[in-house]
Amino acid sequence: MTQLFEGVGIALTSLRASKARAALTILGVAIGVMVVVVIGSMITGINRGVEDIFNQLGPRTFFVFRYFSGGINVSDGSDEMSPWRRMPPLTLEEAIRIRELPSIQRVVTEEGSSGPVEYGSTKLDDVPILGRSPEWTIVSGGDVLPGRSYTRVESEASGRVVVVNEKLASELFGHVDPIGKWIRLHGVRHQVIGVHVPPPDIFGESNRPQAIIPHKTFEKYIPYWRGWMNFLVLPSEQVTVQAAIDDVTSVLRSMRGLRPAEENNFSVVTQDRLLDSWNQVTGMFFLVMLVLSSVGLMVGGVGVVAIMMISVTERTREIGVRKALGAKRREILWQFLVEAATLTLVGGAIGMVLGAVATEIVKAITSMPAAIPLFSVVAALAMSVFTGVVFGMYPAAKAARLDPVEALRYE
Amino acid sequence: MSGESLIRVSGLTREYRMGAETVHALRGVDMEIRRNEYLAIMGPSGSGKSTLMNLIGCLDSPTCGEYWLNGVEVSQMQDDELARVRNREIGFVFQTFNLLPRASALHNVELPLIYAGMSGRERRQHAARALERVGLADRMAHKPNELSGGQRQRVAIARALVNDPSILLADEPTGNLDSSTSAEIMAVFEELYRQGQTVVMVTHEADIASHARRVVTLLDGVVNSDTVREAA
Repeated sequence: MTQLFEGVGIALTSLRASKARAALTILGVAIGVMVVVVIGSMITGINRGVEDIFNQLGPRTFFVFRYFSGGINVSDGSDEMSPWRRMPPLTLEEAIRIRELPSIQRVVTEEGSSGPVEYGSTKLDDVPILGRSPEWTIVSGGDVLPGRSYTRVESEASGRVVVVNEKLASELFGHVDPIGKWIRLHGVRHQVIGVHVPPPDIFGESNRPQAIIPHKTFEKYIPYWRGWMNFLVLPSEQVTVQAAIDDVTSVLRSMRGLRPAEENNFSVVTQDRLLDSWNQVTGMFFLVMLVLSSVGLMVGGVGVVAIMMISVTERTREIGVRKALGAKRREILWQFLVEAATLTLVGGAIGMVLGAVATEIVKAITSMPAAIPLFSVVAALAMSVFTGVVFGMYPAAKAARLDPVEALRYE
Repeated sequence: MSGESLIRVSGLTREYRMGAETVHALRGVDMEIRRNEYLAIMGPSGSGKSTLMNLIGCLDSPTCGEYWLNGVEVSQMQDDELARVRNREIGFVFQTFNLLPRASALHNVELPLIYAGMSGRERRQHAARALERVGLADRMAHKPNELSGGQRQRVAIARALVNDPSILLADEPTGNLDSSTSAEIMAVFEELYRQGQTVVMVTHEADIASHARRVVTLLDGVVNSDTVREAA
């Protein structure tokens, strides 16, 4: 233990002696660590945001998609890589039949697009516009307040009414009461009848403006990518989610005339699975970023080798003196390893601080809910020490092996 | 001239390979050094005196021959064992002082104790006492570049003494000092000798060697003369 502190002391002294060189090496490591921290915090933030979005849905709600890959999917346009081509779009008839099942409480049909939203002279581009059947307020969380959501009658009549979320309301209207005002969605006039307040803990989606209109109105007035309707399905109270999924699956299969040997040409996905595959995607992303940033750390590590080699050469005489005074090989090795590890640890700590600052900036600019997870702090510091030890090993071993007579004679 | 045998070397040989050639630095040296001797090893350059000093200092191992130090044969020892012997038995004083430039005088003197595994507080006490012994009690916190040449060499002597070594081994200890400072350092050696310290000094200067009680002269890798001088 004393040895360790001695080593750190010696290391800090000799680093202080060659400030500029040490600073550059430290910078290399710091940048590597900063990248790890920022990426880690962003992924954690995104994950939290996504979990919060799921939390606002009832936990029993599941989805029916035309196609769900459950992971990263790269399409090259071929049928092999675009399996959805063999999957027919979901239809309203299917939604109606599912709704008739006794095991199903609600079905919300949903389609999405985005486009310009205008109020007076205020214009926002690329606002997500969702067409949803009127039951959406039951399946989705939060409240519509002030105002109300649209009724079944308004929905069937393709009424040009819109529920804006809080964010869109504040961006469009500021302090003006939005209820009753007319706004243009894709140039088509709609009357605002309500403001959707998402559950207070959600911060992912509520930070983006969003307009929700009746599904039929959406189909009539909003340009959108056809064939990608989704169902949000809420099972009845008295059945299990799995039973409801089985019922939905068999109805769809029979409607689509699938033979027993054929696979489903639609996807029924629970939130758990959606979350799993999301985690899988971010996990993969995380892995890629980790590999990239360890490449960054490698570069820092090469810098460590360079500075340590120079340091060993410059201090050949010092090594000779230490050996003459009784330092064993192990003690010399240890001294230089600790020096290298101190170098990278300081770099790691600086990178951590830079990463925290960068995270705050990202948070402020993008309103992305970034957060630094504890494990990434520990991991980054451990990794920087590890880098120091690995890359310091060669120069340290070289120093330890020096012949004392030669070393003392070195000019 | 009393005292038990401290160092006994017999047939000590050291050869170096320089490419295809073999350099015979020592060709069989026999010598005995007793406790509390003040010995100078002299000789022209190339006579093998540095090689002999490195061997006596356990910095190097002989090609053949025996070296007994304090009743232990060190000629067969490996690296780390030699490091231990250097740490316990030998105090080096170099021509160029060889202090760590960024460390205080006190820390420089502490170094051998660090490698001896002594704890921090005890170490500082020992180091401070050693510096007091060489008259530098008021210079402990100074860095080497804040000290004069003579003071630096005193720090080096304090460092050599701090582990209570069997031998104080000095290699041209006044080679980098002016004559008055040299006299000052020789006075320190004289005092240490009087206190019972065994001192072995390598030098090529006759007037420095004249401070010693016994002078061994090397020539071409063998002992040429061995003169014991009665106290002046």
